[in-house]
Amino acid sequence: MTVYVRLRVASERYAIPVQHVIEVTELGEVTAVPGSLPEMLGVRNLRGRVLPVIDLALLLGIARTAPPGRLLVAEAGGISAGFAIDAVSEVSEMEEPTEETESALLTGATLAGGDLIGVIDVSRVLASLEERASERSRR
Amino acid sequence: MSDLDAELADIFRDEAAERLDQMELALLAVESGAAGAESVDSLFRNVHTIKGAAGMLGYDDIRALAHAVEDVLAGVRETAAFPPELATLLLRATTALGGQVTGAGEPADELIGDLAASLAASSGGAAGDPVAGRNGGTGRNGGTGRNGGTGRNGGTGRNGGTGRNEGTGRNGGTGQEGSAGQEGSAGQGGGAGDAGAAMAGGAGDAGATAAGEPEATAEAETSGSPIKGRPLRVPAGKIDRLLDIVGEFMQYRGRLAHSLGAQELQSQAVREILAVSGRMFDELAETAIGMRTLPLATITRQLPRAVRDLALAAGKDVDFVLTGADTELDRVILESLYDPLAHLLSNAVIHGIESPAERERAGKPARGRLEIRAVPRGSLVEIMVADDGRGVSREVIEEARHAGSLADVLARSGFSTAAEVTDLAGRGVGLDAVRDYARSVRGSLEVRSEPGNGMEVILLLPVALALLEVLLFERAGRIYGVPLVAVQEVITAGQTLLLEGRSALEIHGRPLPVADVSALVGATAPPLGDRPPALVISVGSRRAIVTCDMVLRQQEVVVKPLGPLLAGRTAYLGAAILGDGRIALLLDPAALARDSWRLPEIAGPAASEPAASEPAAAPKVLVVEDSFTVRELQRSILETAGYPVVTACDGREALAALDRDPEIALVVTDLQMPELDGLGLTRAIRASAARSSLPVIIVTSRGSEDDRRRGAAAGADAYMVKQGFDQQALLASVEHLVGR
Repeated sequence: MTVYVRLRVASERYAIPVQHVIEVTELGEVTAVPGSLPEMLGVRNLRGRVLPVIDLALLLGIARTAPPGRLLVAEAGGISAGFAIDAVSEVSEMEEPTEETESALLTGATLAGGDLIGVIDVSRVLASLEERASERSRR
Repeated sequence: MSDLDAELADIFRDEAAERLDQMELALLAVESGAAGAESVDSLFRNVHTIKGAAGMLGYDDIRALAHAVEDVLAGVRETAAFPPELATLLLRATTALGGQVTGAGEPADELIGDLAASLAASSGGAAGDPVAGRNGGTGRNGGTGRNGGTGRNGGTGRNGGTGRNEGTGRNGGTGQEGSAGQEGSAGQGGGAGDAGAAMAGGAGDAGATAAGEPEATAEAETSGSPIKGRPLRVPAGKIDRLLDIVGEFMQYRGRLAHSLGAQELQSQAVREILAVSGRMFDELAETAIGMRTLPLATITRQLPRAVRDLALAAGKDVDFVLTGADTELDRVILESLYDPLAHLLSNAVIHGIESPAERERAGKPARGRLEIRAVPRGSLVEIMVADDGRGVSREVIEEARHAGSLADVLARSGFSTAAEVTDLAGRGVGLDAVRDYARSVRGSLEVRSEPGNGMEVILLLPVALALLEVLLFERAGRIYGVPLVAVQEVITAGQTLLLEGRSALEIHGRPLPVADVSALVGATAPPLGDRPPALVISVGSRRAIVTCDMVLRQQEVVVKPLGPLLAGRTAYLGAAILGDGRIALLLDPAALARDSWRLPEIAGPAASEPAASEPAAAPKVLVVEDSFTVRELQRSILETAGYPVVTACDGREALAALDRDPEIALVVTDLQMPELDGLGLTRAIRASAARSSLPVIIVTSRGSEDDRRRGAAAGADAYMVKQGFDQQALLASVEHLVGR
């Protein structure tokens, strides 16, 4: 059993292993960075730090009806970034993900309380964004 | 050894060690099969840099071995194949280099021979005679003639005998030369050969390498030169932290003043406290930054001799001038600046400056001139490396016109201006490494050159890594900043003219492109107001005008990197957090200046659709002129009058343009041009069935009656003299000839 931060993006439920989560705060004012990847919402001033903010809904291909309001700050492989989300529902232990998913950005999915919850692979998300960003800058 | 020599040696040792570490990581990945030929570029750059610096410092053994490694990597680049066995061999080389760098190594003739042999072996199957010839040269460079020769032979032999080649099966047949190899090699190498032969396959080879070398490695570790005592050695990290805190504090001071508000600021006591703490803080900031800055002279005192040695080796006669050596720079920047400067200088000596005979033929003084000039520019330092050599070729200039900038073309991986590869430099590795370096310290690089007229490479580097004086401006609700030093002036952008189909404004007699900052960064924005404020950006020789909604103020900011996730099409120096907590995006002035010339052409009178009901489009004019200035002058005159214009630099290009573009209705050509001159062009046009009636105007500096007759004889319709160039006369002739 691992401890996960469970969150909601639009109407879908996801979880992130707690060791990758630094804090959860309000989304705040995000300054767009023109020319960057569409999934990058921009940067946010987090107590004097310039934090990149990722549009998690766009990244996971989820249609959204209302703007996100919360920010989950995650870290992996020396990069930290904020994920724009709608809400954090709970922090709790959960079974390891056993269900396979099609998305390369998920470790897998697990059934909890009748919901199928996708577990976000933070390292892979950040690494793939970094790779695509650097490709984009070379063009 | 003087203090400075010792310091340079220290710097070299640290840098080389770091680069060797990086190389070893990359090679280990190749060896284990986790990476392949794609890792060759960074390996190549690292070893090239080591070679360059070693050459400058006179470490011939290191230079020779590094050169051999470079040759092997060049082979990998050519064949795009990087077999793990080769990585194993290169790992031996990096170990040996590591030993040499710490002062414990010995000349590695035998290893150089192995490297050369591996290259010969890998290309031997495909008739690699020219390559083998080049490797012979490398072997000789390894040391005295006899040693180099022996090393090479030994290498070939041992190569045949190792398990590596038996494992791949490709060169198994050369095994019979094994005895020659052992004869030629030192004990260590022979042992490795035997062990390799005894074991089968790639694993055996790795084992052999490990078994053969422990002694040398151990020696290298124990006899590294001792750290010398200095007045007070503080780890750079601690000073970095101090500077960080100073920067953060500055930010909070700005926020304090902001949130105190007008009323509190009226209070005498609050004002006094702010003033005193402000002064103390400024002093603290200055002292902290001062701890990190040192004069450029710290790293340049060795350069005159290095240039002399290089010139001697290359058969050049070079006068080296260094000005502004007392200019101070951040220590971290300074320490890493040596390699880029070494690259630029050796490029200039080897490729730029011609031999004395060639110079005399070109009407230049036999002695070439090479200059480094450092000038402080606010919070930046401009360092220029200029030579009066042959410059880049016309083709490169032409390519740069399409690619956007000369630096872009020259810094392309694998680009070289040298026709042949020499031991001293070449392969064009230099400039991309230099540019990577400039970017890594948030600086920029600009290149100017004209065929035959030398080259200037300009590095714009920050004095301190953390603080930057910027001009803040606003567009569509976003705040941008650009280094103040790159802002020549702030103007109001009034009526624009058209230049190459783009908006332009004349500034001090020169038309410059005008671009909306939103378009430059790729953001959407509502249209600008009438007469918007604009910044004239100037980087090196390149200038451009950037329009915005409002210019805010200048401010010293702490530059925060945007990080790898936000890399993209727009070049940012980073971001800054302002007093009110908002974030300003800091723009790279070099990219702004470059991209203003590149923005998609706006719809002008030229861009009308060819539709039957529309009024006939203005006839297209081809301007043929080798002088950039005259060409652009004519272009702007014609475009302002509503004619679409295409240009060519000489007659040959003009003919190609005519083939490509059947809409060209008139040609305005210069008389004297390289390749094909104006008379030749006119004759060619008249001789062509399809174009024999195309109107041609010759514009030239010659004004004699004789020339006029020759022009008419060639078939020109009009003849105009450049002297006292009259734009009304040109337009009248054009109008007359195309009947408009």
